[in-house]
Amino acid sequence: MSKLASNEYYDLVRTTNWTPRYVDEAELFPEMMSGARGIPAEAWETFDEPYKVTYSDYVATQREKDAGAYSVKAALERANYIDSADPGWVSTLQAHYGALAVAEFAAATAEARMARFSRAPGNRNMATFGMLDEMRHGQIQLFFPHEHTKRSRQWDWAHKAMHTNEWAAVAARHMFDDMMFTRDSVSVAIMLTFAFETGFTNMQFLGLAADAAEAGDHTFASLISSIQTDESRHAQQGGPVLKILIENGKKDEAQKMIDVIFWRAWKLFSVLTGPILDYYTPLEHRKQSFKEFMQEWIIGQFERQLNDLGLDLPWYWDEFVRALDETHHGMHMGVWFWRPTVWWNPAAGASPEEREWLESKYPGWNATFGRCWDVITENLQKGREELTLPETLPTICNMCNLPVVGTPGDGWNVKDYQLVHEGRLYHFGSEVDRWCFEQDPARYQGHMSVVDRFLAGEIQPQNLAGALLYMSLNPGEIGVDAHNYAWAGVGKQSHAAE
Amino acid sequence: MSAAPEPLKPLKTWSHLADRRKRPSEYDIVSTRLHYRRRDPNAPWELDPNLPMNDWYRKYCNESPLKHPDWDLFQDPDQLVYRTYNILQDGQEAYVGGLFDQFSDRGHDEMISREWIATLASFFAPARYLYHGLQMGSAYVAQMAPASTITACLYLQSADSLRWVTHTAYRTVELSKAQPDLGFGKDERKHWENDPQWQGFRRLLEEGLIVWDWAEAFVVFNLVLKPAVEEALLGVLADAARSNGDTLYSLLSQAQMRDAERHRRWASRLVEMAMTVESNKDWLRARVADWTPRAEVAIADYCKALGEAEAGARAIERMHAFQRGLGLRD
Repeated sequence: MSKLASNEYYDLVRTTNWTPRYVDEAELFPEMMSGARGIPAEAWETFDEPYKVTYSDYVATQREKDAGAYSVKAALERANYIDSADPGWVSTLQAHYGALAVAEFAAATAEARMARFSRAPGNRNMATFGMLDEMRHGQIQLFFPHEHTKRSRQWDWAHKAMHTNEWAAVAARHMFDDMMFTRDSVSVAIMLTFAFETGFTNMQFLGLAADAAEAGDHTFASLISSIQTDESRHAQQGGPVLKILIENGKKDEAQKMIDVIFWRAWKLFSVLTGPILDYYTPLEHRKQSFKEFMQEWIIGQFERQLNDLGLDLPWYWDEFVRALDETHHGMHMGVWFWRPTVWWNPAAGASPEEREWLESKYPGWNATFGRCWDVITENLQKGREELTLPETLPTICNMCNLPVVGTPGDGWNVKDYQLVHEGRLYHFGSEVDRWCFEQDPARYQGHMSVVDRFLAGEIQPQNLAGALLYMSLNPGEIGVDAHNYAWAGVGKQSHAAE
Repeated sequence: MSAAPEPLKPLKTWSHLADRRKRPSEYDIVSTRLHYRRRDPNAPWELDPNLPMNDWYRKYCNESPLKHPDWDLFQDPDQLVYRTYNILQDGQEAYVGGLFDQFSDRGHDEMISREWIATLASFFAPARYLYHGLQMGSAYVAQMAPASTITACLYLQSADSLRWVTHTAYRTVELSKAQPDLGFGKDERKHWENDPQWQGFRRLLEEGLIVWDWAEAFVVFNLVLKPAVEEALLGVLADAARSNGDTLYSLLSQAQMRDAERHRRWASRLVEMAMTVESNKDWLRARVADWTPRAEVAIADYCKALGEAEAGARAIERMHAFQRGLGLRD
């Protein structure tokens, strides 16, 4: 006899539910934290994670993964890749780290919610590993950018961003806090691990890894693809939870959670990932367009997963598919225009060659978004930079906390979707954003968007300088055009005739 | 953007670490000041400030009776980060795996008495539930603690408890093969829920799991329940195992004790930090005084049922000594 195979003892490791005697079961698993929805413990005990891992497997595998990622970093550190990288790529890294490193550490809180409060012992164990995973993702994504702090203060935002009132950080927190920190364990399993991690993190971590490899940034490529291997393991907690909900007559509730958070994730990715893939990444390194990545990872894979579970596509699917040609272009233009309010240097990505690429990937781009870029380009060419910088406030959506955008030019459809709730007027970027709000107004109604705060006088002085102060953005941190308008100089030759 | 002040100069580290004289370690870089929910004490989460979860975090974290002007100054004395934790524990698991392997090859479970194996069925295998409860409790305190450096210690502590659950399950299966009719793998829940040796621990665990204030939950788990569990199960039971020729359990419990000692090191450091605030002393002492009698009962009942009442008394004294060393009892 020798060592046991893990399948011989695995089930015992997850046979850990007992009936409490000294406190009430309802006290031990408060509905607010557990969210069992009246489904009995025996039903939760059928939770069966598809990807099984033991503690010793976990520490061995993870040790190796870290050894791999950290040694790639160490080996390439002296090459100083970043100093010769395209400024658009540097911005990609800065935006990515700032929005995600500290948020991923926080995500361990959501895993801990399941580790403590899930009624399913298998879920509690998998979430314990998930908790460690997210600790890893926070820590490794702080360690990697840290070496760059000597290069510019914008790198400081890898740690700083999520602690500030910078508008993109507010939007990211609003979405992340809604999805994973203010929910019961069951909702976390569905919203975070199923709806978000199975689809969207693939986009960010594999889509971007493909571009990183193309761009020669092997450190970043190996880092984020290593992270994704953890994500794809702990993302598998959502499926079994959904199965239990559906078997117990809670399909509608499950569907609604998916519909709300899928849309919210889409909006966040439209501002975070869309501009990165379609505008910041140097043209020659773009593997696929944002839309193509979305079609592959979201439309293809996520749709299949929903089907497999007997769930439906979100009711707004047609609108979502339509918006793939629109939202992120609008978000990008907004970020570029309000560039002093972000911690990275947005790359315009609107040189003639890039516009040609955009037109080929998004037919009609030139007649719509391109028209705005024509004006911007002309202003820059004529030395009127001030006209390309913000003087006014955007209308911010009270759900996604991002600007209300639409298609400009020939396809003009920009609209503020409004709602009066308990005497307050709310603005939304789409019918779906408004629908998300209406599903649970109490979650959102007291929140003030950055523009709401400005108008309420919370931000002083009431001008751009005051706003930057409020957002903790100082000279040296605030965004400028990544290429110092070189792209517009080139644009002069081909667009002057228009 | 005209007439802007001088741009900020790049720094050698994160701005929040830049004022310190010493060069930041990997631990400093990746562990410190990460909880963005501590940004605005009135609205931990960026949603409606009156959301019940905002109330929960305000009440049980931000407004906890245990106060410190800057919890983020806490540092794990072992300075473990995720990367080094896996290196450490992969090595520890190789050791324990080696023990399992070697003892199995020697036919260990055939060489120890059936009586002792029956004792393990009642006094060891059901610990799976207790350790899992520690796993849950640590995961709770982790999600509520006021600083990321405290939270990180608790994530690892929770995972260590899962490690103990796994070891226990492993041995349960092995023992079931040696003595198939003693209920191994089947009766643990019954023992845990009904047997007198477990009820003290079970009561303390269940009551501890519904303590929502982060600091009081820390007291219950790290200063009372865990020390009690460790003194009884990794101490008294291990001594009994040795007397019964069960070297394997004795070595296994020593390996687990390495984790427990690490937990006590960071918990001690946290208590030390909290005690620098005068008003915390009475509160901590009062909480320890309130919870410890339940742990005394737990140890005494467990050890008495095991036929080790005197050893139980010494185990209680060791738990007291740990607390006394922290200035938490006279």
